Amino acid sequence: MKKTVLGELEELVLLVVAASTEDVYGVPVMEQLQRQTGRSFTVSAVHTTLYRLEEKGFLSSSVGGATAERGGRRKRLFALTEAGGQALLDSQQMRTRIWQAIPQGKLQLLGLSDTLL
Amino acid sequence: MEKQPKSLPPRWADRLLEWFVAPHLLEYVQGDLHEDFHKQVGQVGLARARCAYVWAVLHCLTPFFIKRQTFQSSHYSEYPNPLFTDMLSNYLTIAFRNLWRHKAFTAINIIGLAVGLATCLLIVLFVLHELSYDRYYANADRMYRMTLYNRMGEKEYNFAYTSEPAGQALLHDCPGVEAVTRLRDDGAMLVKNGQETFKEENVAFVDSNFFSFFSIPLLKGYKASVLIEPKTLVLTQTTARKYFGSADPIGKTLSMGNLGVFRVTGVCADVPSNTHFHYDMFGSFRSVNQGTKWLASGAYVYLLLRDGYSIQQVEAQSKGFISKYMTSEIKEFLGITLPEFLQKGNRIGFGFQPVTAIHLHSDLDDEMEANGDIKYVYIFSVIALFILLLACINFMNLSTAGSAGRAKEVGVRKVMGSVKTQLVSQFLTESILLTFLALGLALGLVFLLLPGFNALSGKQFTPGEIANWRMLSGTLGACLVIGLLAGSYPAFVLSSFKPITVLNGKGQASLRSGWLRNTLVTGQFVVSIGIIIATIVANQQLRFMQNKKVGFDKEQVLVLHDTQVLGAKLNAFKVELAKLSSVNRVVLAGFLPAGASKQSQDGILFRNGSRTGMQLTKSYFVDEDYLPTLGMSLALGRNFSKAFPSDSSAVLINEAAVRAYGFKTPIGQQLSITGDGSEGSKRTYTVVGVVKDFHFESMHQRIAPLVMFYGGDNSQLALRIQTDDVPRLLTTIEKRWKAETGNPFVYSFLNERFNTLYQSEQRIGQLFGVFAGLAVLISCLGLFGLAALTTHQRTKEIGVRKVLGASVTSIVTLLLANYLRLILIALVIASPIARYTMSQWLGDFAYKINVEWWVFAVAGGLAIGVAILTVSYQAIKAALMNPVKSLRTE
Repeated sequence: MKKTVLGELEELVLLVVAASTEDVYGVPVMEQLQRQTGRSFTVSAVHTTLYRLEEKGFLSSSVGGATAERGGRRKRLFALTEAGGQALLDSQQMRTRIWQAIPQGKLQLLGLSDTLL
Repeated sequence: MEKQPKSLPPRWADRLLEWFVAPHLLEYVQGDLHEDFHKQVGQVGLARARCAYVWAVLHCLTPFFIKRQTFQSSHYSEYPNPLFTDMLSNYLTIAFRNLWRHKAFTAINIIGLAVGLATCLLIVLFVLHELSYDRYYANADRMYRMTLYNRMGEKEYNFAYTSEPAGQALLHDCPGVEAVTRLRDDGAMLVKNGQETFKEENVAFVDSNFFSFFSIPLLKGYKASVLIEPKTLVLTQTTARKYFGSADPIGKTLSMGNLGVFRVTGVCADVPSNTHFHYDMFGSFRSVNQGTKWLASGAYVYLLLRDGYSIQQVEAQSKGFISKYMTSEIKEFLGITLPEFLQKGNRIGFGFQPVTAIHLHSDLDDEMEANGDIKYVYIFSVIALFILLLACINFMNLSTAGSAGRAKEVGVRKVMGSVKTQLVSQFLTESILLTFLALGLALGLVFLLLPGFNALSGKQFTPGEIANWRMLSGTLGACLVIGLLAGSYPAFVLSSFKPITVLNGKGQASLRSGWLRNTLVTGQFVVSIGIIIATIVANQQLRFMQNKKVGFDKEQVLVLHDTQVLGAKLNAFKVELAKLSSVNRVVLAGFLPAGASKQSQDGILFRNGSRTGMQLTKSYFVDEDYLPTLGMSLALGRNFSKAFPSDSSAVLINEAAVRAYGFKTPIGQQLSITGDGSEGSKRTYTVVGVVKDFHFESMHQRIAPLVMFYGGDNSQLALRIQTDDVPRLLTTIEKRWKAETGNPFVYSFLNERFNTLYQSEQRIGQLFGVFAGLAVLISCLGLFGLAALTTHQRTKEIGVRKVLGASVTSIVTLLLANYLRLILIALVIASPIARYTMSQWLGDFAYKINVEWWVFAVAGGLAIGVAILTVSYQAIKAALMNPVKSLRTE
C-alpha cells in the first residue's frame, strides 16, 4: 500500500485532536487551531480535513449530542485512532532526525538563540 | 417576522447550504456553522457574524461537500434514499426484459440501426480523411499554389503549374511573399541500383527548402544542405528500404533514367496519405534543366505568404509580370508585340489557390495526381445523413408501433403512482439501450467491412483510425442523441396516455391514425428510390463510356513500356516480335490514347485565308505503321509513307483540328510550330491527311484537336495481337525481353487502359450500388416490422371481414394497398429530385446519356416489388388466419 502522507493542515488537525482530552467536533478544533497558530480557518476546511483523516484511518468518528445553538443538529465527534497516533510519532521522529542533522553552532552563527531548540 | 429570533444566520445562505451539501455531511457541518455563528454574534455583533457566516457557507461550495454519498460509504446515513442509479438499474432491467420478450422485433430494430450506423461511420471516416488533406503543414493557412491561366486563340487553359522563373520573380517583386518552393515532375523514370532496375512513377525535382516548406520531417541528412547540389537525391523511408534494405542510404548512388548518377543525401518520412502529392523520390531542382523562359517552362510553384499580407496583394503584383518579363518573349516566340498579342484577345495571367483547397477544389490541367472532389464529399455526407435518417425513422416507427402493445403497462404504472417523468425516462432508457446495442454491432460490422471499404474507396484506413478517442467519443455522443431523438416521440406519446382509457381496453387514437408513421415510411422510400435511380444512371453512364466506339480498334492491343532502354537493339527486337505467329503488327507507339504515355503540346500557328491564329494543340509523334496497327482511319488525304521523302515536314491532323483551325480544304495547308523560341525549333509543316476523330482522353472532355508529326517515338511498342492464349504470348515476349535487358518487363492492354480512365466513375457506381442496397435493406426492415405490427393491430378487423365473407385476396390487397400508395407517393417525390441531381452529375461529361423515363419506372417497380415481398408475408399470414382465433383475442 502506498504510504499515506500527512499534509501540514492535516498534521495540525491531528495534533489538536490528539491534544484534547475527550472526543472533539469541528468548532473546538477550529478554535484551538486559531489559538495555537494565530491563523484563521474556515469550518469547511476543518471539516474537509477531519473527514479526510478519517478516510485515511487516523481518526474515528461517532455521532454526538445536539445543543440549542446548533439548531438541534447533532455533532460528529472525532477521536484519535492507533494509526493516527503512529502517524504523529513517525512525523515527530522524522523531524527530530533532521533537527539532529543540523551542524552544531550553525544557528548561533546566524544570531539565533540555542534555547529555541 | 417579529417572531424570528434575533440572532439567526441568513436564511438564503442556509438554503444554499442545504441544497448544495451532500445530505450525509449536511447536519454536522451546518451544526458547526451555527454554533460558530452564535459565538461570533457574541464577539463581533450580528451584522459581522452574518457576513462571516455567508463567507463560511461559500467556502463549503467545494466538490468534497457536493459529492453525494456512494454505496460503499453509506454508513453516514441511516435512511438511504432510493437514488437515481437505483431507478436507472430498474429501467435497464425492464428494458432488457422487454427487448428479450420481442426478440424478432428487437433484432429488426437493432440490425437496421446497426447497418445505418456502420455505413455512416465508414462514410464519416472517408469524409474526414478527404477534408484533412494538406491541413497538417505548420503554415497551412498561409500557403498558396501559383497557377497559370492562358488564353490563346479561342482556347483557354488553366494549368496547375506555372512558369519556372515565376518563383524567383515572386520572391523578388512581392514583399508579401516569405518563401517560395518549386517542384518539377518529369514523369516516370527507370532507376537503376547496380543490376536492379525499377520503374519509379513518382519522382519529383524540388528546391532545397521543400521539406521544411511542407513540414515533411527529414529523418537523415542535414536540413540546411540537403538537395542544394545538383545530382543529389532524397528518398522516402519506404523507398530507401526498397533499394538499400536496412543499410544506411546516405552517400549511396542511384542511376536515374538518362539524368545520370545521383547521390542520396537524405531520407525523409513518407509523404502522408492526406497530401495532394505522393512522391517517393525527390531530386534536387538543379539536376534538371532550368527553364529560364516564361513561355516555355513549367514547374509547380508554392509560396508562403508573410503574416499580415493578403493574397490579393500578391495577385495584383503578379499582373505586372506579363509586361515586365514576357514582352520580349512574346516577340521572340510569336513574332508580335505585347499590345498586338493582347489585342487579339490572348491573355496570360496567374492565379493563386490555397494549398488546403487543392485536393477538393482544384481541377486544373496537369494536376500532380487526380484530386478528390468536394462534390463527392457533399454527396457522400448527404447519403450518410440519409441512411442514418432512414435508420432513425425505422427506429422511431418500430418503437412507436411496438409500444402500442404496452399501453396497458403504462396504464397500470400510472395507476400505481408512476409520474410522467419516470415513464419518459423508462422509454428513453430503452431506446438508448437499443442504440448502444446497435452501436456495438455497428462497430463489429465496420471492422469486418473495413478491407472491402478500403478497396472500394481507394483509401487505407486501419482499425486504429476508428478506435481513437475522438472518433469514439463522437460516435458515442451521436448515439446518445439518436437514442434520445428517436426515443422521444414514443416516450412522450405513450406517457401521455390516460390510464382510464387504456385500461378500459380502448386503443389510443394517436396510434391508430398513424399519419406520422405514413409520412416516415414515405420519406424512407423517397430516399431509397432516389438512390436506386442514381445507381442506375451512374452505371448506365459508365457502360456507355466503356462501350462507346472510340474511333479505333482498342481490343487485342498489347503495349510494352519503356522500350527505349533497348536503344539500338530495339529495331531488331521489333522485327523479332513481328515474326511471332500471334502478333500481326508491331509499331513504335510512344504516344497512345488513354493511360500513361508521352504527352506533348505545341503552339501551332496556322493560316486560314487571311486569318492567322495560334493554338496550343496536343501532338503525337507516329510513323507510317501507327494508323493501320491501331485501326485508325483517314477521312481525307493519305497516311505518312516512306515513299515520300518530304514527309519529315508533313503532318496529319484530326477532324477536331480541322474544325478548330477553320480549314475548308485541309490538305495542303501550312502549319508552323512555335517550338521553344529558338530559331531552329520553328518549323513549317504541310497537312497531308486528316485522321477521323478518335477518343484519346476520357469522355469528360470533347475530342480535342490533335496534330501528328512523322517520326515514331521509341518509348513504347504497340502490338496488334491475335491469340486466345494471351498468357503464353506474354511469357514468350517476356523471355525475349529478359534476353535483351535487365530492365523490368512492363506491359498493358489498350482496352484496359481505357477502363482505368473511368476508375473513379466505376468506384462511384459501385458505391452507389452498395448504398442503394443498404437503403433498400433498411427501409424493408422497417416496413417488415411495421407491417407485422399493423396487421397485428387489425387482427380483429380482419376476422370480422372474413366472417362477413371477404376472400383472402381481397384482404391481402387491402393490406398491401396502403403501402403501395405510400411508395407511389415516394416515387413521385423522388423522381424529379433524382433527375435534377443526376443531370448535374452528368454535366461533367462531354459524352453522356440521357436520363430516360424507364429508369424511374424501374426504380419504382423495384421498390414496389421489394415492398410487396416484405409485406405480403405478413398480409397473407393475417388473411389466412382462422377468424375464430382472431376474434377470440382479448
